[in-house]
Amino acid sequence: MKMRACVTALLLLGLRACLSQDVRHHEDDEEDEDVMFQTRAQVSGRALVPGVRTRDWISSARVLLDGDKHVGFIRDDGSFTVSDVPSGSYVLEISSPTYRFQPVRVDISSTGKMRARVVNYIRTSEVIRLPYPLQMRCVGLHSYFIPRETWVWSDFLMNPMVLMMVLPLLIILLLPKVFNPSDPEMRREMEQSMNMLNSNQELPDVSELMTKFFSAPKGHEKAGGGARGHRGGAPAARGGALRRKTRD
Amino acid sequence: MAWLVVRLAISVSLFYTASAVFEDQVGKFDWRQQFIGKVRFALFDTHSQASKKLLVATDKNVFASLNSRTGDLFWRHVDKTGPEGHIDALLMYGQDAVVVAGNGRLLRSWETTVGGLKWETVLDTGSFQAAALVGVQDFVKYVAVLKKSAISLHDLSSGSQIWVENLPDSDTVQYQTIYSGGNGLVFVFGVVPNSHIVIVEYKIEDGEIMNKKSVEAAWMSSLESSCTVISSGILLCVDQITQSLYTLLLQSAEQTEMRQIHLQTLDLEVASGFQPVLTSTQPNPAQPPLSEFFLQLSPDHHILLQLKDGLIVPLRDFNPSYLAAFATSGERTVAAVMSPKNDTACSINLFSADTGRRHLDTTIIYHMDPNGGKPNRLYVHAFLKKDDSVGYRVMVQTEDLTLTFLQQPGRVVWMREEALADVVTMEMIDLPFTGTQAELEGEFGKKAAIQDGLLPMVLKRLSSQFILLQAWLAHLWKLFYDARKPRSSVKNEVNIDTLSRDEFNLQKMMVMVTASGKLFGIDSKSGTILWKQYLENIEPNSVFKLIVQRTTAHFPHPPQCTLLIKNKDTGLGNLYVFNPIFGKKSQISVPALPRPVLQTLLLPVIDQDYAKVLLLIDDQYKVTTFPSTKNILQQLQDTASSIFFYLVDSSQGKLSGFRLRKDLSTELIWEVVIPTEVQKIVAVKGKRANEHVHSQGRVMGDRSVLYKYLNPNLLAVITESTDTHHERSFVGIFLIDGVTGRIVHEAVQRKAKGPVHFVHSENWVVYVYWNSKFRRNEFSVLELFEGAELYNSTVFSSLDRPHPPQVLQQSYIFPAPISTLEATLTEKGITSRHLLVGLPSGNILSLPKMFLDPRRPEVVSEQSREENLIPYAPEMPIRDEWFINYNQTVSRVRGIHTAPSGLESTCLVVAYGLDIYQTRVFPSKQFDVLKDDYDYVLISSVLFGLFFATMISKRLAEVKLLNRAWR
Repeated sequence: MKMRACVTALLLLGLRACLSQDVRHHEDDEEDEDVMFQTRAQVSGRALVPGVRTRDWISSARVLLDGDKHVGFIRDDGSFTVSDVPSGSYVLEISSPTYRFQPVRVDISSTGKMRARVVNYIRTSEVIRLPYPLQMRCVGLHSYFIPRETWVWSDFLMNPMVLMMVLPLLIILLLPKVFNPSDPEMRREMEQSMNMLNSNQELPDVSELMTKFFSAPKGHEKAGGGARGHRGGAPAARGGALRRKTRD
Repeated sequence: MAWLVVRLAISVSLFYTASAVFEDQVGKFDWRQQFIGKVRFALFDTHSQASKKLLVATDKNVFASLNSRTGDLFWRHVDKTGPEGHIDALLMYGQDAVVVAGNGRLLRSWETTVGGLKWETVLDTGSFQAAALVGVQDFVKYVAVLKKSAISLHDLSSGSQIWVENLPDSDTVQYQTIYSGGNGLVFVFGVVPNSHIVIVEYKIEDGEIMNKKSVEAAWMSSLESSCTVISSGILLCVDQITQSLYTLLLQSAEQTEMRQIHLQTLDLEVASGFQPVLTSTQPNPAQPPLSEFFLQLSPDHHILLQLKDGLIVPLRDFNPSYLAAFATSGERTVAAVMSPKNDTACSINLFSADTGRRHLDTTIIYHMDPNGGKPNRLYVHAFLKKDDSVGYRVMVQTEDLTLTFLQQPGRVVWMREEALADVVTMEMIDLPFTGTQAELEGEFGKKAAIQDGLLPMVLKRLSSQFILLQAWLAHLWKLFYDARKPRSSVKNEVNIDTLSRDEFNLQKMMVMVTASGKLFGIDSKSGTILWKQYLENIEPNSVFKLIVQRTTAHFPHPPQCTLLIKNKDTGLGNLYVFNPIFGKKSQISVPALPRPVLQTLLLPVIDQDYAKVLLLIDDQYKVTTFPSTKNILQQLQDTASSIFFYLVDSSQGKLSGFRLRKDLSTELIWEVVIPTEVQKIVAVKGKRANEHVHSQGRVMGDRSVLYKYLNPNLLAVITESTDTHHERSFVGIFLIDGVTGRIVHEAVQRKAKGPVHFVHSENWVVYVYWNSKFRRNEFSVLELFEGAELYNSTVFSSLDRPHPPQVLQQSYIFPAPISTLEATLTEKGITSRHLLVGLPSGNILSLPKMFLDPRRPEVVSEQSREENLIPYAPEMPIRDEWFINYNQTVSRVRGIHTAPSGLESTCLVVAYGLDIYQTRVFPSKQFDVLKDDYDYVLISSVLFGLFFATMISKRLAEVKLLNRAWR
């Protein structure tokens, strides 16, 4: 048998062309022979989809053991058998494009004894027995699709951005209606409360401070332009970092 | 609490990466075609006149029911592959069908209307010979199965075994056929080659041997096809050497030897070297067969004969004729014969079986496909018309596995291309530009245009803009014209002449190569077959290699594909060059390949016609170039020192690297030997040539960059241990630099077994193996990084990489079996990658590569959260929403082909196996196009609302100002 096969062009310096080819030509002949001498068992059970007639779903369903190593078909009454299964441990699943079933692990001893248990891939030796012959019950439909996001008024109104915009608007519009600012008594009261808030009169305003700070080297050039330039620089740098982060 | 955080992190990450299908997208850009394979048995349901069922059993171990009016599948059952699922026989009675499968191991009865299994019986082991329905007193009650050494009878309604008997002297006699004529007996025929025939009679009730006789037949070597039973129990045999027919009355005690009838007496002669074939018909298993039969004397000569009062009478001679078949409707049996009409067409005619008279007006003309094969099977469905005459339809199967269903007077009702059930390899080719698109492209493409000067360029620009405007107006006019027509008549007919690239290059030509040697060109948007070409003289199921030498980008040069094929007669390689858009064979002269080709490689060196150069290396390491013009040879000489290639010899476990010399000879530069006593090389894969990697590194949580090890010459070599014991078996992976032969990394997975599926891309390798200790499938991912600094950021050279890469590895449990594995591919490689996993259940899972990241932390830290890493979990999740083909399952998925489209977000996917499924995936969602459900109404209503609100408020403000001024 010609096992030589092959291929690939490997070019240095930027040129490259890669092709590939499988060299999988071997067959596990020996293994098949071993299997022939082992005892072969039958795995049987029943599959049920509540509320659906069996004839409506069985023509598209199959019983699979460890992928499609062994295949069985479902009878009119929902029962199934998978014949000629060598001893070992298998995961049995019912594959149906519409209905979902839980897989079951089936252990077949070398003497042909059967045991069914819950599939646990992490703790593989854990045994939670299930009835045998198998009772496969549909656990629901496959949900292949995700729903579209639909547009609902409540979603729109509960959006924090909208809330942020709407609430101040309401305040601006409604507050003057609630308190009449032209009422002298009320005005006095408000002024008092404002003074209470701004009790520390000596503390300079932040914005004022900033203006002073940036306009300090006044005299040589136009201060405004310099300040603007400086301010513009900061977000750009931050943007650069962000871009770098999103590159990967 | 920590668990909750983990869950939250996962769900957040899923929100960003999940690529699922929306329900309204079903069928929008995806399609599936289901196939069955080469038909071995086909039976029409003649139970009722209105029935449309056609039952077929194929060499792909598929048993299906087709709608004979449309060719669609009613249902289909796919058994396991290999001899254990092989369908040996298909019998039909009433509404049920009996199938013998797995070399006579299983007997199944199917209800044919819904496709449900009625019963299933396991038979004793023994090689299967024949099966027949057995009737008693006009009722079919049993099925008899003949094995090499035993015969068993089963009840048809329950499958229970009535009796099983060992055959006498089964070690010397080869029992081959079985016959029952409804008289309470089952006959078994055996032969001792070149000696005698053995006939054993069994009683149906209890399996008692009623009679056993042996008849001298020194000329006989095999019973099959050369013997048949006709009339009321007469065994008829034909022999080529003695040029005679032999008859034997089964139920007579007197006749102890076969009566010889020389063919000469009938003025007939068997063509030399041809094994003559007898065909008889038994319309009802409970009744004896008819006394008429076909004798095939040569590949294109049939004759209809009749046995009458012990004499054989020729009824009609069909010379020439390709195929002949019987069919029965009600009480009437007819024979359909296909004869050549002219070079491109055949005519099929109907004859009454008992007289050989031709039925009037029953000709069907069958036009042979000039790019197809010859017809080789004919299946006839006869039915009674209202005026009591016999009508018929035929199904013709050809060498290239095309099924054509015809009705009078030659209308093709449907056609199935069953060669597509076995696709070996495929490519997706960009469609060509239309004339106007090409015009515009040409303006920028040509270098000469720049030298023209300013004014001609402006003029050219204006003229091409004008052409575009014209095309646009024509398009508008067509839209307007179509809109007036009723909707049904406006079909999006895909025509080979109107094929052109769409805006985003989403529609492509799928070139598919099938195991039978038939090539197909399929439109990826609709799945329509645009061209097909059957290559004769090809060894079926051999290795094919499809290479795209020139894409459609080089207008006016046509695109060019090259297929490396193996000739049936010589066993040598052969190049077949064709245009992938039209399927036409190219006239380019092809180099002869006198020695077996070990490898092919496509170089990025381009000749003056923009075709890439193909190098073919034969078993003496000699190089053949195609095309081999002077220009090419010159270019190759210049670049030879940088052309390296490797060879794999898995029988000796040897990987060797070669380098091309200036005189196109080769030089061995490295060799890696993996001892075959311990492990064998299973597969070797490089990276895909058309893959782009967008980012050179990954940004870590602390803002430093981890650079990827992007070696374009890296090979992933997978080995499996020769010891298959589950404690000692292992799977090994080697990463070898293909230029220097340096082993960059090696890893061994203990207590692991194949089959190994793997993907090698960018700076990672993902592979799946079977963990034999825990009996589960496991994914393992290897990622290679250069470290925090890049050694040479401008160019990668295998010869100058002093630092070995850092290798990270992580493994995960995959809770399902796997059929195949592939990764998505996009134009620029910006979109995140997904792995496409084909499952035996027929689903295709799109698994985000994010889950297969060896940097997934076990303990969540601030940095890992910054990087968006999902915390490590041993078991990989599988969600229904990740199945990209929803309920459109692909049976026996064998390969997945991915191709980039013009949109960065979109990757085109074709999964093939028994079925073909084409779809698009969006691994990072459709970030570069507006969503399907983009709410145009909302956005425009908001805009209009704002506009009117401004108008109104402006007006109100004016009024208010005016009022204030008056105050």
